[in-house]
Amino acid sequence: MNIVVLAKQVPDSEALIEIKGTGEKLEIEQKFATSLFDEFALEEALRVRERLGGRVKVITLGTGRAVEVLRTAIAMGVDDVLLLDHEAFQDGDGYATALALSRAVAREARDIVLCGKQAVDDDRGEVGPMVAQFLGVPHVGSIVKLDIADGKAVAESLVDDGRVVVEVPLPAVLTAHKGLNEPRVPLVAGVMKAMRAKIPRATPEDLGLAPNQIGLAGSKVRIKRYVAPKKRSQVRFIDGDAYAAATEAVRSLMDVERVI
Amino acid sequence: MEFALTEEQEFFKKMITETVDRMVVPKARQIDETDEFPWDLWRDFGRLGYLGLRYPEEVGGMNADPVTAMIFYEQIARGSVGFAQSVIMNILMGTYFIYRFGSDEIKARCLHPAMRGEKIGTMCFTEDQSGSDLSATRTTAVEEGGGWVINGTKMWITNGPIADMATVLATTDAKLGAKGLNFFLVEKGTPGFSAGQVLDKLGCRGTVTGELVFDNVRVPRENLLGEEKNKGTEYLGEILDEVRTMTGAMALGIAQAAFDEGLEYARKRVAFGKSIGSYQLIRAKFAEMATEMEASRLMVYYSAWRIKEKLSSRKEAAMAKMLATETCLRVVDEVTRIWGANGFAREFDPQRHFRDARFLLYGGGTHEIIKDFLGRQIIGKS
Repeated sequence: MNIVVLAKQVPDSEALIEIKGTGEKLEIEQKFATSLFDEFALEEALRVRERLGGRVKVITLGTGRAVEVLRTAIAMGVDDVLLLDHEAFQDGDGYATALALSRAVAREARDIVLCGKQAVDDDRGEVGPMVAQFLGVPHVGSIVKLDIADGKAVAESLVDDGRVVVEVPLPAVLTAHKGLNEPRVPLVAGVMKAMRAKIPRATPEDLGLAPNQIGLAGSKVRIKRYVAPKKRSQVRFIDGDAYAAATEAVRSLMDVERVI
Repeated sequence: MEFALTEEQEFFKKMITETVDRMVVPKARQIDETDEFPWDLWRDFGRLGYLGLRYPEEVGGMNADPVTAMIFYEQIARGSVGFAQSVIMNILMGTYFIYRFGSDEIKARCLHPAMRGEKIGTMCFTEDQSGSDLSATRTTAVEEGGGWVINGTKMWITNGPIADMATVLATTDAKLGAKGLNFFLVEKGTPGFSAGQVLDKLGCRGTVTGELVFDNVRVPRENLLGEEKNKGTEYLGEILDEVRTMTGAMALGIAQAAFDEGLEYARKRVAFGKSIGSYQLIRAKFAEMATEMEASRLMVYYSAWRIKEKLSSRKEAAMAKMLATETCLRVVDEVTRIWGANGFAREFDPQRHFRDARFLLYGGGTHEIIKDFLGRQIIGKS
């Protein structure tokens, strides 16, 4: 079973982020982590390999600190990694990023492509489905359970108020949701191996892409400006009886504050 | 000059920081409150391979250089000093002489299981009447019948009461003082070897510390850990700098844990309508703490780098240990002040850091001994 995982380096959840100038640019503290949902994808790939054999390759697009995503993946136990490393890849929208990633995936033997359902920085959730589209294979989103047998994947996906069980032929693109698994803590042998690993890189030319197809130049969507969230008062009193107030408090924490 | 960690060391730091945050930090308070050895965590760290961190790959270790090992010591102490103390004793002092001088059979029986967390090692210097003054060691080893007979009592032994094997400092000739000292391996189950009093400590709780008794303990000739007799003090010198620098790294870990608690509190706690972190006197505390911690960190990692490069490091290691520990003591004190009365409450963590920091005053040599040593180095003996 050959599995390709797409992973992204995102600002750490504790990193300070500021909107600069008139809103056209973000200044982000240099603290990064692997996107949470990509960690679930990575862990699932390793579990599938442990059950069925095969190889796991992780691909990421980025420069500099993006190498950490790949080193983390090596520490967790993947077989191969690849960094799409060129200025032309940078600042792309979901379309341009998915195009570059899909070209990289197309060069690999793959039965399954796994990635997070969305990156936790821009939260758009576009890249996984678009990679499936570019590759011309099925896509199953937000999976929380995965079984592989007889050239097919049976996955459970979260939908509003429930789950749906779907079957797709392989190869397919599957995007991971929280609940799929609990990512492992890397063995120190893996960490040491990752520390010393040389990271293979690919350029647009390697993927047969022109600079105007990728990154900012190849993007269909342009960010015009960033707008800071409206400042809210620190304390909010919730009226009503205890049950209703508690329900509203939980709703507020989940949907408004988004802290749980 | 180059002051930065390498990209690889930065990556190791990130990984061990995440591992400690995920596995150790959530258990730290429980370890302290129950004062029970965290067996599950111990087995997890053995499984993950951290207990063989600093030994070469040929013996199943991870071949971490001294700078990387220091990153580990700092981070694990940030998580829980009680746990860190046990782990580091096993990784460093409790197995070093077995690795260095043990026969293949001894290594197979003691070192390899210790690196997997299946056995626990310790090292014993201190006695009820002697600590830094090794020449006053009263535990004896007498050659007899092709082996050694050991008699004496050791005190303040980290991991002692739960240890599967001990590297024991004993004199073969009391008249020779420090020049008559040797290390011997004594394994659990050897007749006459037993654990005595378990100490109830102010901090570093969770580490089992106590007394070990050697009553006519017979060990074979090969259990003398050394190529030559009466070279124990010299052999000890091989790891003394690493031990002292490691103590400094642990101090950095405790200081960082306390500092982070203080920072979060200063940002959130409101007094007179503003967060207390907006008042100049509180800001000054953070300015001073951060500066002193940065200086200590530079000293600790400079010393580690000298050890890695095999440069003389006796002075630097002593300075690093003393500076980082004294900084740590100031930081834990300031953080309890920033927390106000809450810093005095058992339900919050600053008091734990305050108690834990005290232990580092003694490990690796008291600061009175270190100052005397440094003074002699600088001024001269006469």
